[in-house]
This record gives sequence, structure tokens and C-alpha cells, in this order.
Amino acid sequence: MALADKPKDAHSIAESQLSKIIRVVFMIAFNAGALWFIYQAYSKGFYQIAILLGIIVVFFDVIFSLKKGYPFRWMAFGLAFMLVFVIYPIFFTLYIDFTNYGDGHLLTKEQALVQIENATYLPATGKSYDWTAFKSDNGEYALWLTDRSTGETFLAKPDEEIQATKPGDPGVGEADAKGVPQSIEGYTRLNTLLAAADKQLPNIKFGLAGEEGLSTVQVRSPNEAAELQIRYLYDKEADTLTDQETGRVYYDKEGIFTSTDGRTVQPGFRANIGWKNFINFFTSPALRGPIVRILIWNFIFPLISVVSTFALGVSIAIMYNEKDFPLKKLIRTLLLIPYTIPSVITILIWRGMLNSEFGVINRILNAVIGTAPRWTTEPIWAQIAVLIVNLWLGFPYMMLITSGALQSIPTDMYEAATIDGANSWQKFRSITLPLLLVAVGPLLIASYVFNFNNFGLIYLFIGGGPAIVGASTQAGHTDILISYIYKLAFESGGRGVQYGLASAISVVLFILVGAMTLFQYRFTNMWEEVSENA
Amino acid sequence: MIFNKHGIIAANFKHTQKEKSMKKSVLFTAIFLIATLVLGACSQPAPAPTAAPTEAPTEAPKPTEAATEAPTEAAPAATLRIWADDTRAPALEKLAPAFLAEYNVALNIELKSSLRDDFQLAAPLGEGPDILFGIPHDQVASIVANGLAAELDLGEKAAQFVPSTLDACKYDGKLYCMPYATENLAFFYNTDLVETAPTTWDEVVEMGEALKAEDKVDYIMAVTGTTYDLYPLYTAFGGYIFGKDANGNWNDQDLGVDSEGMIAAAQWLKDQLDKGNIPADWDWANNHALFETGAAPFIMAGPWALDRIRQSGIPYAITNFPAGPAGEGYPFSGVQTVLINEQSENKLLAQAFLTEFVATEDTMTELYNVGQRPSAFISVLEKLDDADLIAFGKAGINATAMPAIPAMGSVWGNWDTSILLVRDGKQDAKTALKEGAEKIRALIANPAYGMVNVPGSYQDQAGCEAAWAPECAATQMSKNDEGLWVSGPFALKAGEYEVKVALDGNWTTNYGVDGEANGDNYKFTLDADGEVDFVYDEATHLLTINVK
Repeated sequence: MALADKPKDAHSIAESQLSKIIRVVFMIAFNAGALWFIYQAYSKGFYQIAILLGIIVVFFDVIFSLKKGYPFRWMAFGLAFMLVFVIYPIFFTLYIDFTNYGDGHLLTKEQALVQIENATYLPATGKSYDWTAFKSDNGEYALWLTDRSTGETFLAKPDEEIQATKPGDPGVGEADAKGVPQSIEGYTRLNTLLAAADKQLPNIKFGLAGEEGLSTVQVRSPNEAAELQIRYLYDKEADTLTDQETGRVYYDKEGIFTSTDGRTVQPGFRANIGWKNFINFFTSPALRGPIVRILIWNFIFPLISVVSTFALGVSIAIMYNEKDFPLKKLIRTLLLIPYTIPSVITILIWRGMLNSEFGVINRILNAVIGTAPRWTTEPIWAQIAVLIVNLWLGFPYMMLITSGALQSIPTDMYEAATIDGANSWQKFRSITLPLLLVAVGPLLIASYVFNFNNFGLIYLFIGGGPAIVGASTQAGHTDILISYIYKLAFESGGRGVQYGLASAISVVLFILVGAMTLFQYRFTNMWEEVSENA
Repeated sequence: MIFNKHGIIAANFKHTQKEKSMKKSVLFTAIFLIATLVLGACSQPAPAPTAAPTEAPTEAPKPTEAATEAPTEAAPAATLRIWADDTRAPALEKLAPAFLAEYNVALNIELKSSLRDDFQLAAPLGEGPDILFGIPHDQVASIVANGLAAELDLGEKAAQFVPSTLDACKYDGKLYCMPYATENLAFFYNTDLVETAPTTWDEVVEMGEALKAEDKVDYIMAVTGTTYDLYPLYTAFGGYIFGKDANGNWNDQDLGVDSEGMIAAAQWLKDQLDKGNIPADWDWANNHALFETGAAPFIMAGPWALDRIRQSGIPYAITNFPAGPAGEGYPFSGVQTVLINEQSENKLLAQAFLTEFVATEDTMTELYNVGQRPSAFISVLEKLDDADLIAFGKAGINATAMPAIPAMGSVWGNWDTSILLVRDGKQDAKTALKEGAEKIRALIANPAYGMVNVPGSYQDQAGCEAAWAPECAATQMSKNDEGLWVSGPFALKAGEYEVKVALDGNWTTNYGVDGEANGDNYKFTLDADGEVDFVYDEATHLLTINVK
């Protein structure tokens, strides 16, 4: 025994040394790669991502080098992904809350400044030309310029004075139909597109600057080269822009450079605006308006949805839990179909079927009983329609989970109850339901929370409509908070896309949902007590 | 028992764990190694020692792509990335080889379903395309406001475009997009049921009711929407969305959603609905089906529906819109455009591509063939020989370009809601449209709508957070009995001050010295600490500063 064990031990030690080497190599490679990523993120101004990556790198290094971190090695990937895709977005949302990120403020300040500092203007005395580019073999450019006002022609080269030149002059070929020489000695003529393919061309300054009466010419567009000047000077210390053309000074005011007399420099950029998004939300007509009505419906809708889907699911599960139910397997399979079809398709089909004018349901109802509810325009019927569709979408799930739980209830309990003379209802109330709730209680809460934010159904089926009469914002009778927020922050009910405001509202919503979930977990504890008694 | 069992299981697990851990760590290491290598290799920047480091990664041409696209050529001099919709992308794909052969520039065309939204997300991150192909002109407004569209210079090519389409691309007098096609609604009638086209809405009702009485149709007209799709009806009654100011720019303070004509038209719709003349559901597809099956003799539809109407086999003709109390109705016109990403590093090349290659008769004809919309390019438009599209052009001759101002974003939803409330009988036409218009005004004008203020360098001493705050309520003016606006007195320290008058809590409308809009600042000096009050006359826009 001992002999047999020995080589095995030696083998495993060797293996661990090998794995150690591999691990070190891997860690060096990983650190190098990660550092490069961090550097890239940092240099492009994505500081948050750089910090996040840094945290992950430190985390991985600790785990993979310390013995104590051993158990974490299995979870390292999961934790890293959670950090990147769950924790980071939460913090990012919290950060966006306090900015005016949205239409008009999409860029970062660095990006906006690059754009602003690249802006040029043509001074009143500046000349503007038509241009044709020529390129020498060693890559140097020369521009053939035609003054737009006088028609005079010039040859311009970088760092050389611009020369008045005519076609046919020494070294210059004959003019073509446009008056541009066909060739220039030492250079090849380029067509506009070929010249434009060089990204550096607009940055090249042709001519000699600095001296009195001389200024350089730059390519402005495929048609025009002009004596351009930089328009804005940015003072980093004072955080101000000065317009070189007018002398006006612009200050950074909540993400847009604004002068004291109200002129602005486009584009705006993301800026920290403190609690403004929250203040806007809590003081906006959106809150004074239909929010109470929407909140009430937001609590009722998931409640009825959960109760109705659970009731239907349980009844069906109990039905085919009976041994001698005919065609059990076929029916069970058929009933699962609503669950297997993508809900987007189901919702759209229901939307068509419940159409008041052309829908199949109303046509049948009209033919049979002579009247039909107006599903999309009457508030109460719209709410019922939403609940019906959600019942259709939700009951197979409840059926699945309860049929599993039903089988785990010991049959001897029912036998004992039968002996005691209990009827079926009593058995259901005192045995089935309490034991079921123990098993599926948490799932019901999950279902409630899911339906609390069931944006897809509300938005796709009816868009939150029909509209609430007299509401101060665009709100509908079936709107839940999340669909209402969507309308306010992104759709035409508001003022264009406002990520900042939307984040602020979703944080408020998160607090609401979180509190609700916490509250309901208390109820699960209650159910656990029930199970102990049972 | 159970407890023991658990203990055993745990022990067993620990044992196997130890054995497996070696293999596992090797496996993990391998995966990680591969992952890092792959990631590192993918994002390695091309060595470009002379160029600035930030430009290096994108500047390097992609040899592999070039090889597949043009096996005989050397690597293309540059690549243009283009995002286009599903109609335009195939047409551009077709043009790409010719372009590569002629100019040695590769076109990298990517198909996108929601061009604007994708673009607004990608462009600020530096991942946008060089060119955005197929954007309606009214969507360009927000792209321009976000600083993502580059200014364009079409040079002498500009003369070859229909002038009104170029106007649709101008913001603040600068050109930001290049038009290539136009589109608008027109009036369709079923030639089997109707012999001569109706010229007034009264005739529409008359003819329709006659057909309905004979049981030939279910409805007198199909209705495909609430706002855009009914606009020619609203305008026939005198309705409008925004008025224009003296310079011909949209005036967002003149909102016509609750204008008399709009109310009258909404009432007309409700009357027809009550008589059973139009369906109670205005779903686009359902109502198109009504026309295409002959259940309704009239419909207002756009060129995008031409294919399905043709395929339905229903005999139809296209004509001008019927007239109402305010004359012949006119539709909104939309212009389809191309724009260049301001963040692109290939702006010059992209512009050259547009002016040299797209703005040519060949390319414009190709775009016309795939898009089936009247071209914005004059020489292609003149060759238009499709009778239907010519009729569309005639129906849209008086069309107003869809207002491309940010305020329009606040209009659609609320306008739609108001019309729906009228249709469903929840509110009468007047109340519904008035309330809808109020919501829009509140959104456009912001909470400070109607505020008159004197922002200036004194404000931080007058209870405001900072100086020059037109939205600060502490210095807001109020109207006195004589109809003049007054504010103050404010206790100020000695010194020089500058002020201006601003309306509605922002700088959009402001008046300076001599009541001049956007004029110079008013200046005043306090030799010692004292009080100042302001009087503003809204008739002359003059501000009087009283220093005590």
C-alpha cells in the first residue's frame, strides 16, 4: 500500500510544479494584456473602465497567487463577469444620474473640445480658392490654387511662399479645360478623390506664415482651400473659450460653452449637474400628473397576473396529476406551447386578435352576441386585455413549477385526510396549497417582480394606451412605471433622448422594487413557518 | 443519519477536489492564456511610428479585406465605412467595385436597421461609420444638435439639386446633409368605383356615401394613421403644426396643434366616424387592406406603399389632395439624405466621395431605381417617367418640409394622443387638442415659459446661485398695472454691472441695448453700495435701469 502510494505522490508534486510554472507564465501574460487594455482605456478617457479592469486584475492576481484564495479560483470568472456586467452598470447608472447625458450632451468634454478646437473661420480679408492637388514622388504636396474672386492662379507648397503662376510657365504644363495645368515638373496630378484619401491633407499648411501680408492656405473641402484661422482658443486654467473672430468669451455652463450674453458653442458635452435630474423628476408635471394612478395600476397588474396565472396553472396541474386523466401527455404538451413561442410573437398575435374593429375575437363576439368590448380604447377593457394576454403567457410556467411541487407532496397525507373525512376542497386548502406555497413561494415573488417591470408586454401590446384624459403628460391607462418612464425619457412624449433623467428615474424605481422584494421576503419566512407547522 | 451522510459527502468531495484541482488549474491557465493572446492580438495597434498615437489603430489599411475585395489590385489607398438601410445597402454594394477600380478606395458597407439610434450610440465612442446613408432630413436635426454631423460643401454640384431639398438639409444656414430623394403622401382612389377624382372633401363624402348606399364599399375612406398620415386633411381645413417667422424659419412658439383648422378637421373625422363612414380603428396595415380589397374607395398613402397596392391588383389612380375650407390640402414632405460623421477621420474623402461619385447622374439613377422615390437630383428627376411617381410629385408640389426642429420631438406623441381621444369620443375636438397643445407647449417652452428676466453680472448678489442665469426665479420680473414688467429693487455693492433681458428662462430670445435681439449688454455703474430696479417694456423691448 505504502509503496504503491509513493510514486503517485511524487507524480502529483511534479504536476503541481508544472502547473505552478504555467500559472506564473499565464499570470504574466494576463497582467501584460490587462495592463495594455487599461492603458488603452485610460488614454481614451474611459477612466471608469480602466479602474474596473484594475480591480479585476488585482483580484485575479491575489486569487491565483495566494493559497488562501484557492477556493475563489472556481468563482473568479463568474465574479469578474458579475463585476463587469452587473456591478459596473449599476455604478455607471448612478454616475449618469448626476449628468445631463442625452441629446445635445452626447460627447465627452474631451471629444467636444477636439471638435471645437478644430473649428476654423475665414477672416473677412481671407482669400478662398479652388484647388487641385499635385504630389511628388517623395510624397510632398503642391496645390494649384485659383482665386475665387479674381481668377488669379497660384502654386502653393508647404513652407514656401505662394507663387503667382500661370499654366505654361517654366515647369508647368498646359492648361486643361478648367484652367488647371495638366502637369507640374516633379509632381503628379491627383484627382480630388485620390488627394482626399490622405487624411493629412487638410492639416497641411501651404505657404509661409508669420510675415506681414502672408498667410497659409489649408484645404477646407473637396472644392475649397482657404486662408483659414483657428476659431477658438481654449484656456485650460480658466476653462474658457475665446472666439478669435469676435473676441467673445465662453464659459462652461452645465455642459455647453455659453457666453455671458447667451450665445453657445456647439456641440454640448456631458457635464455633472448634481441633483438636477432628481429635482426635475420630482418637480416635473410628470409627477404631479398621473403618477399615482400609474403606481396603483403598477401594483395591481402584477398582483392579478401572478394570482391568475398561479390559479390556472395549479388547477391544470392538479387536473393532470390525477392518474386516470385521459390524453394526459398530449394535453400537457399542448398547454406548454404558449410558453415555448417567443412572447414577442404571442403578444403581436393577441394584439391583432383583440383589435376592436378587425380582430377575430370581436368579429365572433359581434356575430354571436351582437356586441363586443372595445379592447384598445376603453380603459377597463384595455386593462382586462393586458391581463388576459399575460395569463396566456404566464400560466404554462406556473403549471410546470407546481406540477413538480405537487408530486413531492406525500400521498399518505391525503390518505389520512380521506380517513378523517375531508372533502377535496378541504384537502386542497389544508394540504396542497400550504405545501405548494412553501415550494413555489419565492418563484411567485420573482414572478411578481418580473411583472412589475414587464415592459415588453405593455409596450408591445398596447403602448400603454388608451390615453388618460386630462393628464398633464402623455400617459395611458395601462402604463406601468417603466413604460411611462420610457415615454418620458426616450419617446416623443418628452424632449428627446435623456439618459441622465432616465437613469435617475430608474434609480428611484430600483429603490421601489428593492423595498418591495425585501418586504415580500418577509412573507416567505412566514410560509416557512407554515411548513414547519404542517 | 442525514447529518452523517452530509459529512461523508463533504469529505468525498474534498478528496476528489484535490485530485482534480491540478487538472483544472492547468485547464484554466490554458484558457486564460489563449484568451489573453487572442484579445491582445486582435487589438494590437498597427505600428505607425510617425503618426500620432491616437490615429494609428484606425489609419492602418486592412490588408485581408482588400485582398478579398480586389484580388488583382494592391491594397486600396483608403477605406470608407458606410452605414445604410436595407434598400440602399445593396445598391451601394453594387457600386463599390466600380469605385474601387476607379479611385482605389474601398467601400465597406454595413447594413443597419435603425440608422440614427445606432449612429448616435456608436459615433461618440469613435466607432461610427464615415458616412450615414438613408437618413430622413427631420432626423438629421438631433444628429446636428449632438455635434455628430459634419458640415458639407457640395461646391458647384449644389446647383444640380432641387433647391428645396437642399434647404431641408440646412441648419443655421449651414449644409449638413446631401439629399437624394423626396417622399410625400398622395391621394389614391379606386378607379373601378370612382370615375373622376374628387376635388373637395365634401365630394369625397358624397361619392363615398353613394357607394356605401349601394353596398359597394364598407367605408368611404381608409385612415392609416393619426398625424402624419392625415396631415393633408388637416391642412385642407387650415390646420398646421408650426408657423414660420419672417425669415422663413420654423417658429416653435407658434404651435398650430390647437388651431381652428385642426379642430375643425378633427371634428370632421369624428362626424364621419359617427356616421360609420370611416373605420374606428386606424391601424396602418388593416386600413391598407381595406383599400386593397375594395372595401374603401379612397386612401392617402406614400410611395412606400406603392408596391403593395400594385401587387394587390386593385385598379387605382393617384391624384392631388381634395380641398377643404382652407383650400387644397398639402402633405408633409420628407427628404432622404446622406451625412458625414463629424468624428470621422476621413471627412475630406467622404465629402469627395459624395460630390464626385454619388452626386452623379449614374449613381442617382441607381438610387432612384432601388428606392422608387422622386430624385432630389435635377437631371434624374427630369427623366422621371413613372406616371405614379409623377403624380406623387404633383400632389406634393405645395408640401411643407417636415419641421426639423427639436421642438417637433415633443409634438408627435401628444398630437397623436389628442386625435385618438377625439376619435374614441373621450373628449370633444376642441378640449382634446387644446390640452394636447398645452402639454406640447409645456415641453417646448420648459417650466419657465413666459418668464421675463434680467440676467446679468449682479445676479449672484440678488439671491441667484450664479451670475448670468436667465432661469433664476429670484430676479424674475412681474407685470405691473401699466403693462410694464418690473423687478427689484436689488441691493448691490458698488461696482460695474452688465445685464440683458431674456425671455422664457433661457437665452433663445434675448434683447440688449436699444431693444435689439441678441444685442450688446446693458452696462451700469454703482459708485457706492445702493439699490437698482429694472423696468422692461415688452412692446419696444427696451430696458430701463434705475440706480438709487
